[in-house]
Amino acid sequence: MTIVACSTPPGISGIAVVRVSGKNSIEKVSSFIKDSPFNKKTPLSKICFLVDKDGVAFDEAVVTSYIGPNSYTGEDLVEISCHGNPKIISKIIDLAVDVGSRLAEPGEFTKTAFLNGKLDLSEAESVSSIIHSMSIVGVKAGVKNLKGGLSEKIKLIKSNLISLVANLEFNLDISEEDLQPDLLESSEKTIKNVICWLEKCIITFNETKMFHSGASVVILGPPNAGKSTLFNCLVDKNQSIVTNVEGTTRDVVEKNIDINGLPVILKDTAGIRKSEDLVEKVGIEKSFNEARDADLILVLNDPDKTFNDGKHIHIFNKSDIEKPDGNYDILISAKTGNNVEKLKKVIYKSLVQGKAHDTLLTSKRQCLAVESSLKHIKEAYSLLVGENSLELLVEDINRSIHFLDEITSKTTKDDILDAVFSSFCVGK
Amino acid sequence: MKRQDKKFDLVVVGGGHAGIEAALIAHKRGVKTLLISMDKNSVGRTSCNPAVGGLAKGQMVKEVDVLGGMMGAFADLSTLQSKTLNKSKGRSVWSPRSQIDKNLYEKIAQSYIKKVGLEVLEAEVVSLYIKNNSILGVFLRDKTKISCSSVVLTCGTFLNGLIHIGKEQIKAGRYGEKRSEGITENLNSLGLVSGRLKTGTPPRIKRSTVNWKKGEAGYGDKKPSPLSYRTERFSPKNEPCYSFRTNKKTHELILQNLSSSAMYSGKNMATGPRYCPSIEDKVYKFDQNPSHVLQLEPEWTMSEQIYVNGFSTSLEEKIQLKSLRTVKGLEKVEFIRPGYAIEYDFFYPSQLKNTLESKAISGLFMAGQINGTSGYEEASSQGVIAGINSSCFILNEEPLVLKRNDAYIGVLIDDLILKDTDEPYRMFTSRAEYRLQLRSSNADQRLLEKSKKYRLLDNKTLKGLSKKIENTKKIVKHLENNNVKPQIINTRLEELNERPINEPTRISNILKRPKVSISDFKIDVVQLENSLTTHMKEEIFFEAETIIKYSGYINRQKEEIDKIKVYEEMIIPEQFDYNNIKSLSNESREKFINIKPQTIGQAQRINGIRPSDISILLVYLKRPFHVKQKK
Repeated sequence: MTIVACSTPPGISGIAVVRVSGKNSIEKVSSFIKDSPFNKKTPLSKICFLVDKDGVAFDEAVVTSYIGPNSYTGEDLVEISCHGNPKIISKIIDLAVDVGSRLAEPGEFTKTAFLNGKLDLSEAESVSSIIHSMSIVGVKAGVKNLKGGLSEKIKLIKSNLISLVANLEFNLDISEEDLQPDLLESSEKTIKNVICWLEKCIITFNETKMFHSGASVVILGPPNAGKSTLFNCLVDKNQSIVTNVEGTTRDVVEKNIDINGLPVILKDTAGIRKSEDLVEKVGIEKSFNEARDADLILVLNDPDKTFNDGKHIHIFNKSDIEKPDGNYDILISAKTGNNVEKLKKVIYKSLVQGKAHDTLLTSKRQCLAVESSLKHIKEAYSLLVGENSLELLVEDINRSIHFLDEITSKTTKDDILDAVFSSFCVGK
Repeated sequence: MKRQDKKFDLVVVGGGHAGIEAALIAHKRGVKTLLISMDKNSVGRTSCNPAVGGLAKGQMVKEVDVLGGMMGAFADLSTLQSKTLNKSKGRSVWSPRSQIDKNLYEKIAQSYIKKVGLEVLEAEVVSLYIKNNSILGVFLRDKTKISCSSVVLTCGTFLNGLIHIGKEQIKAGRYGEKRSEGITENLNSLGLVSGRLKTGTPPRIKRSTVNWKKGEAGYGDKKPSPLSYRTERFSPKNEPCYSFRTNKKTHELILQNLSSSAMYSGKNMATGPRYCPSIEDKVYKFDQNPSHVLQLEPEWTMSEQIYVNGFSTSLEEKIQLKSLRTVKGLEKVEFIRPGYAIEYDFFYPSQLKNTLESKAISGLFMAGQINGTSGYEEASSQGVIAGINSSCFILNEEPLVLKRNDAYIGVLIDDLILKDTDEPYRMFTSRAEYRLQLRSSNADQRLLEKSKKYRLLDNKTLKGLSKKIENTKKIVKHLENNNVKPQIINTRLEELNERPINEPTRISNILKRPKVSISDFKIDVVQLENSLTTHMKEEIFFEAETIIKYSGYINRQKEEIDKIKVYEEMIIPEQFDYNNIKSLSNESREKFINIKPQTIGQAQRINGIRPSDISILLVYLKRPFHVKQKK
């Protein structure tokens, strides 16, 4: 089956790229190219006229053919770089469909590449992370993994675990004598190291998550402190309703914005006060929940520093009409925009400071696999110190390896035996 | 006997461990069976070390025993010392092993064969009589034809066997025994692919030339347990083995003379096993080890012939002797015969189904070293399965297939048919992903139902084992459903340095603690049936304790087994055309075409097959015209 889709975003643009992939994609595309020079044997890139069914040319485009398996998808693939007019794009897609192609599902080109063994799972995920990452740091991590950075690191951790299992298996499976004297100590050391590495993987993933999916920043404060005004000011649009009536904002309002290149999900909340109104009470509770999960909290006009939990900026708003009533980190006026640029810098610094920029895991799935792996290796550790029998220990380490296998390639029993034979003198 | 007139259902070629198990079980199941051996007196011979069982192998002997095989029973009657290995390690890797009297073992095997009336013929089979890919009979060297509809080939190391001692080469199947020629070429002409493998055996020395005082004596267990469930009384001799050690001088001599070794002299030789390396190998590859252990084992009771375990070699005889004499205590040692390496033909086992029947020729079964394995127990295991399944073939019954979570035998066969190893295959416990469930102590629980279905055991044994299993279940239930009071157990817990309990607690919960054992509780409340022997009672308590202690892990494994079950049952049609799937890599496609996995589960376990290959297969199989569900 041949699939077709436009690989560039919809709308008017300078250039758009339409991809056609599948067994007969080259022939199919040739049917609407004037004097097509393309064949199934040699890859080619050429400027061609695209012609409609009536034989009239409707665009001049750069057409590039790739011969499978030497293509992104692993099958024959044609890329048409046409002018970015939506009419032209849909014409090309229509023509491709007319000759027997079907519209590709989202991500289907990458899925095909995966099915054809062009990418492993972590590499396929990197592609998605490169496309969807909301910042350049995320893109860089994605590119690194596409080159196999993640696989390499996981392979290293795995090889440590495999040689550990080999050590234990030698004692269980081959040596008929008592355990090697230093076996337990050295196992403990290896396991501790692996725990440390895996934990670091998870921590950096969580810390750099905001580069992909955005940091959550919550505006919190007493009623009528100007939270919604600040929200609108940062969003640069009238999104939140602003009135003089306390308790206007009752549900959480959120918007994706960009602060100095960092993707931020900004959240406006209900003002915190004692209220008898049931709806408002629910709103206040939501404010607290949002604050708990936030990466950063902007606290407005709260001289008592009620929310003192280390991830907050204390802001005095309305500096244009009032004097600050306590010790604040920054004075602004959301209404006039005074000092708001400086606030953005402070927000950026607070979010990024001291956090890892470098991560290996780029998807939740990878992180879950590492978490499961960590859980089992920790289990192994407690078995080891609890003087349980060795085969149970091996069982948990094997489970731990199994979850890492979900990120890269599979470890087999032969890998373990190979490790045994290469490091021990087996046989009485 | 007028051979020409003879007609059998089944002919078993070869009288080693695979052959006798195959022939005996088929005979027991009422199939008219003939065992053909080149030498009647060598039937049941143990050609290498004088021991049965050992790590992973002891578990297999137990499994063979429940499936009606005789290895454990023969060994119990010829035991020189019995020991359970790995006692200091986890109980799923506890493995019984018996040193045996090799002469007695083959005598017992031969007299048992006579007693049950299995017919044995001394002759050499040179080819199979095959028409339309079905067996019609076998041809002997003297051109006699013997008719049959099924054949089990268990040729061991005899097919074109070639012995190497230094530069000397001798055509033989075993030392001093004629090799077999013709079968390989015959099967090759039918399209079956063969290869060469190598194995070795150490020198045999004279007891009277060893200074025994220099060795360290090793005895068996004080309370030995038999290998066979059928053995009622077991009080074997306890003859010691002695360990000696090689030294720097030994190693130097060997290294200087590597060129005289058949293996290292650069000649193209078949691959040998890495787990049973020659002394040349050990000295060369592990030069950091200053000394290797040699275990001197008697070959029969107080025998003059002593087996030098750990000194397998294909060095020139002169050098073998010289280097062995550098070992303290062996200064004056003399040979009965030197160590040697032997090369032989085997058939790539991926050409077999998981029933051990050939995919190409119906009714042809293979078992033992001819399938590329090594070890008496591996051979015996395959022999029993081939014997059962060839009789199923003849009796038109559904064949017996053991899964990887049923038995080591299941792991063995699954591995054999899915990966063409380039060294002789030996079982290790680590090959079994469900090792915690495949214990030597629960072989009966795992296999008794199958044994019943295929009528493999006598009624008395069957009844005894059923009763044992019932009683084990009863105790487990008791442990899971009853509490123990603090005043009863706390004193003991404190003695063990364990945290005491504050309130009545489930016995099973406390028993899961590593240091606590079932004997710490007073559970005589449970009435075990009186008819059980003391030994059986001990086994029941031990097994119940194990079930509780391992339950967490075993339940998790069971969940996994359930999860992958759908793949194990997803059949790949025999005619499935992998050439149609262009997206498979050439390498994977070739593997699929060669091995022809029967299920997706098998396909997943083929070496080098990537998860993406399986995804692709699944995509194709899920298309309605390919789906074929197992009934």
